[in-house]
Amino acid sequence: MKPIRNKNVTFVDLLDRVLDKGLVINADIIVSVADIPLIGINLRAALAGMETMLEYGVMEEWDKTLRNIAIKERKKIEEKAVEVVV
Amino acid sequence: MEQEIQQKLGEETKEGRYVYCIVDKSKSIKFGRIGIENNEVYTITHKGLCAVVHNCKSQAYISDNEEMVKDWIKTHQNVIDIVSEKFNTVVPLTFDIIVKGSNKDVVDWLRKDYERLKRTLKKVKDKQEFGIQIFWDEEKIGEKIAGVNQEIQNLKKGIKKVSQGEAYFYKNTIETILKKEMEEKADEYFKKFYNMIREHVNNTKIDKLKKEKDKQMLMNLSCLIHKNKVKKLGAELEKINRLDGFSVKFTGPWPPYSFVSPG
Repeated sequence: MKPIRNKNVTFVDLLDRVLDKGLVINADIIVSVADIPLIGINLRAALAGMETMLEYGVMEEWDKTLRNIAIKERKKIEEKAVEVVV
Repeated sequence: MEQEIQQKLGEETKEGRYVYCIVDKSKSIKFGRIGIENNEVYTITHKGLCAVVHNCKSQAYISDNEEMVKDWIKTHQNVIDIVSEKFNTVVPLTFDIIVKGSNKDVVDWLRKDYERLKRTLKKVKDKQEFGIQIFWDEEKIGEKIAGVNQEIQNLKKGIKKVSQGEAYFYKNTIETILKKEMEEKADEYFKKFYNMIREHVNNTKIDKLKKEKDKQMLMNLSCLIHKNKVKKLGAELEKINRLDGFSVKFTGPWPPYSFVSPG
C-alpha cells in the first residue's frame, strides 16, 4: 500500500506532529506565553474532532471501574452457578 | 531626537523571527510570501546551517478562531514541504516558535546550538517520517474469540436454562472474559505487527492510542525511514491490511517531527 497525505484525511495526523512534536528551542531566547497553551485545549479538540481527542488513557480509567464491577458480578454468578448445578 | 531613538529601540526589541525549520546547507534563499499571514520566507545562514524564517513581532500566534489556526498550521507545514523539495534534509520545528530579536539573535542561537543541530540533522539525513496506525474491528475479532473460547461457549449454552436475572449476569460474565481475551490478543498482535514493521524502518516512536469513531486503534507508530525503503514497508503493511478484521492507515511522507527532540 502507498502512504497518503491528503489535507482532509490526514489533518489530525498533521496536528499531532506540528503541535506536539518537532524541534523546540531553549526557552530563554524564544517568545514564551507563560503557562497559556498556544492553542486552547477546546480549540484543539475542535480542530481534531472531539472523538479522536478522547485519548485511550481516559477510556481506560472508565473501563477499569466497569471491569471491577463486572468481576464482582462474575463471582456472584459463579456462586449461583454452583448452586444451579447442585 | 531622543524620543525617536527610544521609539526605535522599543520597536527593535519587539522584533522576532518565526522559525519553520533548519536545513543542513548555507544558502541564502528567498522563498517569496509563502509564510504565515503571507509573510516573506527566507533563510538565515551560519556555517553550513540555515534557519528558514519570516519576520514578525515578538509575539506568539494565538487565536480562538478555528479557521485561522487551521490556516496557520497548514501554512507552517506547507513552508516546510516547499523547503524539503529544495533540500534533502530538514529538521522541522514545532508550530509557533519565535526567536526574540533580529537575524543576529537567530545566528547567535545557531552558533550556540550548533553541535546539537548538526547531530539532529545527521540523524534524519535523507530520511522521512511515516505514520502507521493499525485498527481492528472489535466486533469481528470478538466474535472470532467467542467462537473458540470454551468458557464463553458454556456460558452461552447455560443462558438458555436460567432465569432472566441470571441470564443478565451470564452476559456480563461473557463480556468480562471477552474483554480479557481481547486485551491479550491486542498485546499479541501489537508485538507481531511491531516486529514486522521494525525490520523495514530505521527508527520508531510509539505514540498514544486514540479512540476513533467506530474503529479501535491497536497501534500508533511514527517511523523514520530511508527514502528508498518506503516501498518495502508498504508491501509489509499491505499484508496486515489484508488480514480479516484489521485495517492500516499509512500516512506521509512527513518531515521527521517525531525524531528531532533532544535525546
